[in-house]
Amino acid sequence: MRRFALAAAVAGILLCGLLGTWQARAIERNFAGSAQLDYFLVPAELKNNATPRSTFDGFTSEVALKLAVDVSDRLSANVKVCYGCHGFELPMAYFDYRVADELNFRVGRFSPSFGAFNVRHDPANHATSSKPLPYDMGRMLRWQDWNLGVIPSPFPDNGLEIGGTHWFADTAQLDYAAYAVSGFKGDTNAVDLDWSQSFSFQQTGYLVDNNARPAWGGRAALTFRAGEANDFTVGASFMYGTYDPTNSFAYTIGGADFAARIGRTQIRAEYLLRRQSFATTLQLKEPVASDAVQTFDKHGYYLEIERSMTDTIALVGRVDGLYRQGNVVVTSTLDPKAAIIRYTGGATYAVTSGWRLKASGELWAFSNDAAWGFRDGHPAYDQLELGLHLAVVGTF
Amino acid sequence: MKTMTPPRWLFALALLALGAACASTGPREGLDASQLPPDVRDDYALFARRCSKCHSLARPLNSGIDDDARWTDYVTRMRRQPGSGITQQDTGPILRFLHYYSLEQLRAKRARAMANDRAASKPPTPPAEAAPERTADR
Repeated sequence: MRRFALAAAVAGILLCGLLGTWQARAIERNFAGSAQLDYFLVPAELKNNATPRSTFDGFTSEVALKLAVDVSDRLSANVKVCYGCHGFELPMAYFDYRVADELNFRVGRFSPSFGAFNVRHDPANHATSSKPLPYDMGRMLRWQDWNLGVIPSPFPDNGLEIGGTHWFADTAQLDYAAYAVSGFKGDTNAVDLDWSQSFSFQQTGYLVDNNARPAWGGRAALTFRAGEANDFTVGASFMYGTYDPTNSFAYTIGGADFAARIGRTQIRAEYLLRRQSFATTLQLKEPVASDAVQTFDKHGYYLEIERSMTDTIALVGRVDGLYRQGNVVVTSTLDPKAAIIRYTGGATYAVTSGWRLKASGELWAFSNDAAWGFRDGHPAYDQLELGLHLAVVGTF
Repeated sequence: MKTMTPPRWLFALALLALGAACASTGPREGLDASQLPPDVRDDYALFARRCSKCHSLARPLNSGIDDDARWTDYVTRMRRQPGSGITQQDTGPILRFLHYYSLEQLRAKRARAMANDRAASKPPTPPAEAAPERTADR
């Protein structure tokens, strides 16, 4: 009941803002949205109904509505509501106060600037139905075993961000951001973060921090223009925080990204690493001293090439993966070395302006006890899985 | 534990597909540039290049904005996005195209409204049975 009340309140705010568009023309408002309906077929799930579901197969939908308001030349506000697998979410509710292009203060609830995918996380802004594995939010196979990727995108949080952009002679654009936010959450006796504490209205107090120590981080990126149709971006991101109520355990996340736009071809690559400490109160696969603080590393990466072939068709190819190295609880299906490599091929077809069909096929290779999922120089696997996506996405 | 050795033909196929993709041309989810007036095409090309970097062109084209001041705010907001690649100098041609596009949208809207008005004021056509047989032509 409480979550419905919250959702109704947020929807009311959006509706008031929308209706206000016709009443106060002096303040500029822009209303935008997107919706994606995706059908995810996993043949292995069909073959063995006795196996507990390990993914969101079947139909899933993601809906987002956003209102951007320019209160003045310096002050603007954004509110965005999403509905997806996790229920209602409020990924944006913030004010921007801009002193200059180079200095902007953002206060409220927002996705801190981390990585390059963050600005494309909306399903209308990427060509595949699924997100790259480092940023997955639940469309990955065995997401419960893996506890998602390295860092979900979007990952809205409450806090303050200072950022800006500066052009050097129309050939190079420097972007920077530094922030302090609540940070991710988890229990003191947990091995990993508990994303559900940060995700949805279904969780009591999900907007409330579980400790008094902010997480902090930043990002810097440099974009070079090379001719009219080409540009290149390199970026680096960092985040550090404690996640448990007693501030005993911490996570550090680093990332590097590269993107190139060469004519109508886009190449994107990112690498992320989360190093995290956890308690040893649980029974672990590899024996450790009872008072030792354990750590694990979770690596994530993707390489994606997207090319628009005609005015309606675009092709996309992607290789992405996760590699987890570190102790796990005895009940885990993962070994202290576990990896996923996924190969994705897909296409989008623009039915009309604002409506796109997305189709993609994914080959998943799961392995245990093979560093990075490779053995003798070749991709190794214990099990292969196939996933097929067909989605329609609309945007305005 | 098994290992995968991708066949060489798969690499060849991937390279071929990439080459074909790089050789092809064409706009994406936008307008047909050949249908635009010659003096607008360059502005549109710049708009399409810059704005399709992060999102579909349908976002701005279907936004319903038809006011120059609102377009200025919209483009300014986009220019400030990280990695947008939109310089201050780019905003002039982009806004020129959006001004043209807004006028075209308004013209089309008015034409549709007038056509609807004409259809509403037209007297109803008689039923088909009442029409005289056209046998005399034979």
